[in-house]
Amino acid sequence: MTSAPAIEAVSLTKRFGAFTAVDSVSFEVSRGEIFGYLGANGAGKSTTIRMLIGLLAPTAGRAVVAGRDVTREPEAVKAAIGYMSQRFSLYLDLPVRENLRFFGGAYGLWGRELQARAEEVLELTGLAEHRDTVTGELPGGIRQRLALGSAVLHRPSVVFLDEPTAGVDPLARRGFWRLIRDLARGGTTVFVTTHYLDEAEYCRRIGLMVDGRLVALDTPLALKRTWVPDRVLVARGRALGEAASALRALDGVHAVEPFGAGLHVRVDPSRWDADGVRAALAGRGGVDVSVDETEASLEDVFLSVVGRTAQGAEEAGP
Amino acid sequence: MTAQAPAGKRFAVRVGAIAWKEVLHIRRDPRTITLALVMPVLLLLIFGFGVSFDLDHIPLGVSDQDRTEASRRLSLAFTASNEFAPAGGVDADGADAAFRRRRARAILVLPQGYEKDLSRGAARAELLVDGADPVTANQVLTKADAIALAEAQRAAAASGAAVAPPLQVKVWTRYNPEARSAVFMVPGLAAYLMAVSAVLLTALTVAGEWERGSMEQLFASPVGRLEIVLGKLLPYLGLGIVQLLLVVVVGATVFEVPIRGSPFLILVSGLLFLVGMLGQGLFISVVAKNQLVATQAGALSSLLPSLLLSGMLVPVDNMPLPLRLLSRVIPARYLVDALRQILLKGNGLYGIWADLLAMAIFAVAIVALSTARFRRRIA
Repeated sequence: MTSAPAIEAVSLTKRFGAFTAVDSVSFEVSRGEIFGYLGANGAGKSTTIRMLIGLLAPTAGRAVVAGRDVTREPEAVKAAIGYMSQRFSLYLDLPVRENLRFFGGAYGLWGRELQARAEEVLELTGLAEHRDTVTGELPGGIRQRLALGSAVLHRPSVVFLDEPTAGVDPLARRGFWRLIRDLARGGTTVFVTTHYLDEAEYCRRIGLMVDGRLVALDTPLALKRTWVPDRVLVARGRALGEAASALRALDGVHAVEPFGAGLHVRVDPSRWDADGVRAALAGRGGVDVSVDETEASLEDVFLSVVGRTAQGAEEAGP
Repeated sequence: MTAQAPAGKRFAVRVGAIAWKEVLHIRRDPRTITLALVMPVLLLLIFGFGVSFDLDHIPLGVSDQDRTEASRRLSLAFTASNEFAPAGGVDADGADAAFRRRRARAILVLPQGYEKDLSRGAARAELLVDGADPVTANQVLTKADAIALAEAQRAAAASGAAVAPPLQVKVWTRYNPEARSAVFMVPGLAAYLMAVSAVLLTALTVAGEWERGSMEQLFASPVGRLEIVLGKLLPYLGLGIVQLLLVVVVGATVFEVPIRGSPFLILVSGLLFLVGMLGQGLFISVVAKNQLVATQAGALSSLLPSLLLSGMLVPVDNMPLPLRLLSRVIPARYLVDALRQILLKGNGLYGIWADLLAMAIFAVAIVALSTARFRRRIA
């Protein structure tokens, strides 16, 4: 059993009337993996999660989570997983420890075992000092850590986190992701949706959803290589404005975009390198130009994927 | 995964977790406690003292044209009771004016020669009654009759002559001889209060879980819908029982409402009624799924029927046929009847089994219906 994937989705589909929210999605997530599920709002991320946790019956296809079929044994799936929903995860009028006690009880924990496990989770999430604080009085970032703690009280083998860091400040987000990585190191499989692309870098693999379809799935590095084959350069200097317009017109230059005080330049790697771009900018009015090579960001990947998918849709259209 | 406890124990743990959470919610929300425990006492006091159907201190004018000891004795007999209060002397011709100015609602006229006639056994006294409010007028007449009869008997006994009429009709009111409002209001109030708070509170708490989105979180856990329903209802069942006891105890101590029957039967009737009301609240929230609609539907569906169709204010037998039929599906009607039977008549199970059965049928039906409508899958 140890070699079986923690999550396996095969042609998973959900239709609401004429609208296809999730269109024949297939993927596997192995044990202990952090799997990022990316996409714009309404791309089908939450619907996919709801099918995987037995909350929503798939229209077609099947999924096996923690070794159980979600359609045939939704109750067994529910007992084996943890879930942190997008909208709600805690009772704000109750103190921290009572939230833990409630969610522990909901998963059948009680007595000394519940108490010991609640203490462990308080330590794990760094909330020990807040145990008696009314949850609503805690800042959003700490609340989300508590929500994650509540979702893993019963030691699930897989946790599903739906937009766990929405509306949380960057520092708290970093702390939250440290927690996710600790969990994964302990063998828990983490399935997480987000629309913060910087966070997605923490994931071992990423699936990209566009309009209900899974259009890309790979490690962040491989995605960058596949979807953004260009050489990505950062140019700095003075008087770059006009030089940029001139550069944009040259062959093999794919994109020139303002980036802070400088420029983000994407070029055909077989025809351009950093020196070439610097020379081109300096020759067209740029002063004190320096150019460095950089890595494509997941944002570049996302834009490229969405752009190409939209193009494909247009070509396939009438 | 943690070690699996036996199914029965896991069930109890989950129900317990939800019920305990609910208790905490209640404890943290002073409005719930106020609504559930302070309101009943307040309402009981208002209804008991304020909204009284007993008439007393009806202003009585006296037009004594005889001015003898006997005539004074009769007018004293009237005003000595609590029912009438002396409003001073009134001219027989001034009756209209006294009524119009509301100085008096009844005027006792003692004609000249009253004492003489009395000694001959043929005395006449007149009572003029303001008939603008027929309910009051009726009560005034009834009470005046009783006082006059008592006075006649007393006078006859005093004179030593056995002048008692050959046939005397005596009306005895059993169970509530003084016809005190509080005595028949307490059972009605108990039903009304339990209905309103049980339906409203459950409708609110379950609709609140939908609104917050926490219901989805619960559905994603292994907690079953029966466990959610039980966990949600149990704390309010307890609260409702406390309400019932509060109303009965306050009724008994402040208004001297008798408790002639078994307290155990009071509890059983209350429990059956409450389960039905909690089920009704649950049903509303399962259908409405938002607190605003749930509040309105909850208030309407509990307040009006328990107030108007339960027999609390208007006897069921006096209702027009359609309302009488409608009242048959209102559990409050059966509780009011059962409580009156137990409290006032001291009736046992044989007197109230039909009421209990009716409430049980409603409770089972509504809880089954709402649990069935309670889908754990969303969308």
